[in-house]
Amino acid sequence: MDQENDFRDAQDAGDRLIAAHASEDPFAAAFKATRMPMIITDPRQYDNPIIFSNDAFTKLTGYSRDELIGRNCRLLQGAETDPEAIAKLRTAISEERDLSIDILNYKRDGSTFWNALFVSPVRDETGEVIYFFASQLDFTNIKSKEAELAAARHMAEQEVARRTVDLTAALTTKTALVHEVDHRVKNNLLTIASIVKLQARMTESDVVERTLMSVLNRVEALSTVQRKLLNDEDVGHFDVADFANDLATDVIGALKRTDIVLTTDLREVVVPATKASPLALIINELVGDAVRRGLRDGGGEIHLEVRRLNGHFLIRVVDTVTPVDVDREEAAFSQKMLEACLQQLRAKLERRVEGRLTEVSVTLLVKD
Amino acid sequence: MKILIVEDEVLLAMELESEIEAAGHDIVGLAADSREAKDLIDSVRPDFAFVDIQLIDGPTGIEVGRHLSAKSIPYVFVSGNLKRIPEDFAGAVGAIEKPYTMNGLQNALSFIESFVAGKSDEKTPPPSLVMSPEVLAKIAA
Repeated sequence: MDQENDFRDAQDAGDRLIAAHASEDPFAAAFKATRMPMIITDPRQYDNPIIFSNDAFTKLTGYSRDELIGRNCRLLQGAETDPEAIAKLRTAISEERDLSIDILNYKRDGSTFWNALFVSPVRDETGEVIYFFASQLDFTNIKSKEAELAAARHMAEQEVARRTVDLTAALTTKTALVHEVDHRVKNNLLTIASIVKLQARMTESDVVERTLMSVLNRVEALSTVQRKLLNDEDVGHFDVADFANDLATDVIGALKRTDIVLTTDLREVVVPATKASPLALIINELVGDAVRRGLRDGGGEIHLEVRRLNGHFLIRVVDTVTPVDVDREEAAFSQKMLEACLQQLRAKLERRVEGRLTEVSVTLLVKD
Repeated sequence: MKILIVEDEVLLAMELESEIEAAGHDIVGLAADSREAKDLIDSVRPDFAFVDIQLIDGPTGIEVGRHLSAKSIPYVFVSGNLKRIPEDFAGAVGAIEKPYTMNGLQNALSFIESFVAGKSDEKTPPPSLVMSPEVLAKIAA
């Protein structure tokens, strides 16, 4: 069959379809007038040609009715049309099934549009497929917005990935730097202690030695603070109870006396790093004072408490010793250190002496 | 005890030396890098060693520790960063964290003495001495 004959057959089929419906048939009128592009094809003719198309279809594709009748729908396909979509369409038609598919189609002028295509077989009373009905919906705008969104999302994701790499690198550098600085501070503190000890060992003067050891004692309290800081992810925090336990155990242990009874009531109290040093020095002075007043020379009892009390934070040291004469200069220096740290923390100190028992309570406000 | 000190900071090594000597022990060598340390371990066979992790030739203290462990010589790490110590402590008895205090060091020393002498059941280790999991289990047993 040549093309001329094909066209005539398709035209005839279309005419028959129209003739079967009275001109006042609301369905035919609707089909012609609707804004939805629609076509009908005849599968009983060779190559399933278009036998009918409406104005909306012409408006969408640019093809006149004359150019469409007798042609297979594949005239809408082009180079960029997804072969997989074409294959699905072909299978649905050969299996006489409904199909809804998004497919890239071409207009008469060669431009493309995204077509939300719906194809459905139309059967007669015997069940034979006599037509295929196809409606089109141009969703190019939606598709391009989708593409824009996808592109924007892709760019955003790339940007996030790039920044994540930057931030990770920055964090690694920062962590390495913090560790390096921490290491240097620790080493320097130990070097300072070593210098003081070296001179204390070399001096022939008792006073110089005592003075240097007094300095060493405070430097070491600060060293312990540095050691206790930064030991985990909770950088910049400090557990006063943990420090107090280490300090008291070490000080009492180093006295190497079997007649000292150390008791503790230590509950975790975590404070910011800025409060760590004055708090550490306060505990150091309180324990040191008990040691100097008699614990070192005659043994005795010492009780150390660190805990919260009614929204306050309490450090309490109770000792029972046989008092000995203390070096007045050393005691005055210790008192000065204590006062400075109390002032810095706006803490209050209460001291009670009853015979051989001395009780010192330091209270300060801490935020939870 | 014959003791070896492996530490790259001379001032710190000197002070550690005098503390150990004051406790009645002999220092048989000071090493600042891992080669020196291994040579000394092989030549003088110390009874005990203090090993810093960061040495002149890098973080090679762990390697020195394994060398000591292979020769069944007990030792402790002395380091500012205990996180660098492998989980098995590389055979070390324990570790002393820098910056240690004079009291902390002396308490660690006396515990080490009794531990090496096999009198580990006498007392619990001082806070200044972090014991290896293996030794902790042994003490608990």
